[in-house]
Amino acid sequence: MIALLRIELYKIFHRPRTYISFGIVAAIALVIQLAMLADGKNFIGFALQGVSEQFDIKGNVLNGYLITYLILQTLLIHIPLLVALVAGDALAGEASIGTLRLLLTKPITRPGLVLVKFTASVVYAMLLLIWLAIIALGLSVLLFGTGDMINLKSDAFVMLLKDDVLWRYFAAFAFAGIAMMCVAALALLLSVFADNSIGPIIGTMGIIIVLTIFSTLQLPIFDAISPYLFTTHMIGWKGFFDAPVPYDAITHSAIVLLVYTILFVATTIIVFNKKDIQS
Amino acid sequence: MAIIAETKELTKSFGNTIAVDKLSFSIEEGDIYGFLGENGAGKSTTIRMLLGLIYPTSGTAYIKGQLFNNSKRHLLQHVGAIIERPDMYGYLSGWDNLRMFAAMSFKNIPKSRLEEVLEIVGLTGREKDKVKAYSQGMKQRLGIAIALVHSPDLLILDEPTNGLAPQGIVEMRNLILHLSRDHGKTILLSSHLLHEIEQIASKILIIHRGKKMVEGPAEQLLDPNETLVEVQMEPDDNIARMIKATQWHGSLTGSGPAHLTFKMHPGKIPGLNKWLVENGAKVIDLHSKHSLEAYFLSLTNDSATPHRTV
Amino acid sequence: MKRLFCLCLFGILLLPSVTMAQDATQLFYRIRDKVKGVNDYVADVRIKLDVPFMKVPPMKGKLYFKNPDKMKLERQGGISILPRNSFNLTMNNLLPPGNVTVIDGGFDTIDHKRVRVIKVIPGSDTGDIVLTRICIDEARMLVLHTETTTRDNGTINMDLYYNSYVAYSLPDKVIFHINLKDYKLPKGVTMDYTGTDEDLVQKAKQARVKKGRVQIEYLHYTINTGLTDAFFTEKK
Repeated sequence: MIALLRIELYKIFHRPRTYISFGIVAAIALVIQLAMLADGKNFIGFALQGVSEQFDIKGNVLNGYLITYLILQTLLIHIPLLVALVAGDALAGEASIGTLRLLLTKPITRPGLVLVKFTASVVYAMLLLIWLAIIALGLSVLLFGTGDMINLKSDAFVMLLKDDVLWRYFAAFAFAGIAMMCVAALALLLSVFADNSIGPIIGTMGIIIVLTIFSTLQLPIFDAISPYLFTTHMIGWKGFFDAPVPYDAITHSAIVLLVYTILFVATTIIVFNKKDIQS
Repeated sequence: MAIIAETKELTKSFGNTIAVDKLSFSIEEGDIYGFLGENGAGKSTTIRMLLGLIYPTSGTAYIKGQLFNNSKRHLLQHVGAIIERPDMYGYLSGWDNLRMFAAMSFKNIPKSRLEEVLEIVGLTGREKDKVKAYSQGMKQRLGIAIALVHSPDLLILDEPTNGLAPQGIVEMRNLILHLSRDHGKTILLSSHLLHEIEQIASKILIIHRGKKMVEGPAEQLLDPNETLVEVQMEPDDNIARMIKATQWHGSLTGSGPAHLTFKMHPGKIPGLNKWLVENGAKVIDLHSKHSLEAYFLSLTNDSATPHRTV
Repeated sequence: MKRLFCLCLFGILLLPSVTMAQDATQLFYRIRDKVKGVNDYVADVRIKLDVPFMKVPPMKGKLYFKNPDKMKLERQGGISILPRNSFNLTMNNLLPPGNVTVIDGGFDTIDHKRVRVIKVIPGSDTGDIVLTRICIDEARMLVLHTETTTRDNGTINMDLYYNSYVAYSLPDKVIFHINLKDYKLPKGVTMDYTGTDEDLVQKAKQARVKKGRVQIEYLHYTINTGLTDAFFTEKK
């Protein structure tokens, strides 16, 4: 299995497409950082409007921690799409270039291949998150320094003390890892039904976008279903930036995501095991 | 000789279409087993069922006497295959492709073995090039190297000459013969072209619309005495009458005022030609072809050809 | 004679209130002078914001003050959050400057202690303060409670507690009660995570209460250090 995983990772990281994602992450993060360097004061003024009417907020509000949060807020919607780029390609891509049949004439079990593909996609997603952590957190802190962090929620203004922030980012990245695992599992599941990778990639993106709309739109009809949608729980990382941290809700979200992940992977194995390889 | 691969009543339907219909055959060790059928006859489906890529609707496939199913994937350690096109990872070098697929056989394959198979297929010196820069022939040869690298007993080559230039086809044929003779491999060679099979196969199976049509040793199916000779001439009733009294009558399989057909050894054709001319026949055309070829060609035009065994 | 008697009676009845009113005015000026005895100070403070929609941990910092209305909170690299118009936060500014009209408000009780109540109306009507109600511990000459009605910032209540710096009339702890406007950002903008925790949703709904509290604990004062006005100008 380890040998097979190494081969999978070798394939993923020898493909130019893989690095596009890393490039996109770096580009978006840099754009936000540069924009904040140039015009951050105005942005903060605008964002704090609701509070600054009544309170006088002074000090290094625009610090690396806040900017990291802004980058994550923007990027963590897009990272699933980048994860889909690799996970959606995992089986369908092999089918489309014709290597799937060659792979399966090797003494590998199909469930084994699915698990290896899943693991490799997860490793890729984790590396993407680590890269994001380096670029978003590392670079922002380097450029803007650290400080107390302000988190604007719709109904609350949260301030976290400087020494109480970093662990939250590590926890948030770990949670994002669970969310990305779920995305990878979904993309892999769609990948098993297709013989080219465009379908599963677009499919995953579509599902995530539509369900995110369901999750965020505050309509009664969506309220009823949104607790059951995995997209509702994907933003659980934000819970770590609340005070106090809603551990119960976060644990619940993590469990929902894990259950979805297991469900997706198990379905992939069952479907792939029964599939006639005609590509 | 021991049977290395075998199918019994192997059947596959896709919806209402029966792609392979109760196909039974067996491949013995050392065979170059020619698997012949026109495009869409069910050859690839059969091969995929043999390799566990497609699940049979009914019937069974065995490899080395063991029932092949997903849980017996270790049986694939004894098999190397290229199916239809030799598709590989274009963004990786030939060497990387070979190394990766070698590692998937879960045998400890030394670097020297990789070099050896590259030597066998004639790719030495080009292994560091990206596969996307390879010609079709090079890809086919790399495909064979991948199929060969873990020293399987059975090589399954599905249309290995597809897309090759004439020179490439000759080279591929020589390579297959070399693998059989010098490396002792059993080879299942599928093709839609009879002349490719007839030149090297030791056994031949012809299928049509998923059904077995002919199976038997090549020397019997390709017996020279079974050569078909067709004569076209200007209408002359006398010739057909005269011939009844000659040695040629035994070989005559059909006659008319303007045509005659015989089944005979090609060595007798000059004598037949001489007799025809001497007896006043105005021959327009005389040509010979093997009866198997004639039979095979007829399959492509006719659906209701009877089953034939030798 | 009868008229004279009535006049005397009226005078006798009226006299205490006149003298008390004078007392109240004097009391105010004495208190104000005492408070103004501190020209500037630097204090180590711990600030607690108790505002429904704000989740801010206790902030430690240094509070700089200079008479009459300069104030600055510094937190080592951190963010400082104070209610707007920080003049509200020091007693000095709740005591209107210049000539004022003082009305005696009688007595009241704070923490079982009888306190003198005076109401102060500023002489000039250009300032923000409209009326200040001040509760004074006459024995110690300390302001224990103020209620200030402002033109633009609603009513601000302030409780003062004294201990170590009584001599300077500087409190050890001050609690402000402030009025708040509602706070709401559209959810689509913030993309909140509430999880499925109903408690949080309920808490968010309760957060509509429009009252807040700011508590400043003065841990240590350094008095009259000679701070300059320039120190308070915002560094850009």
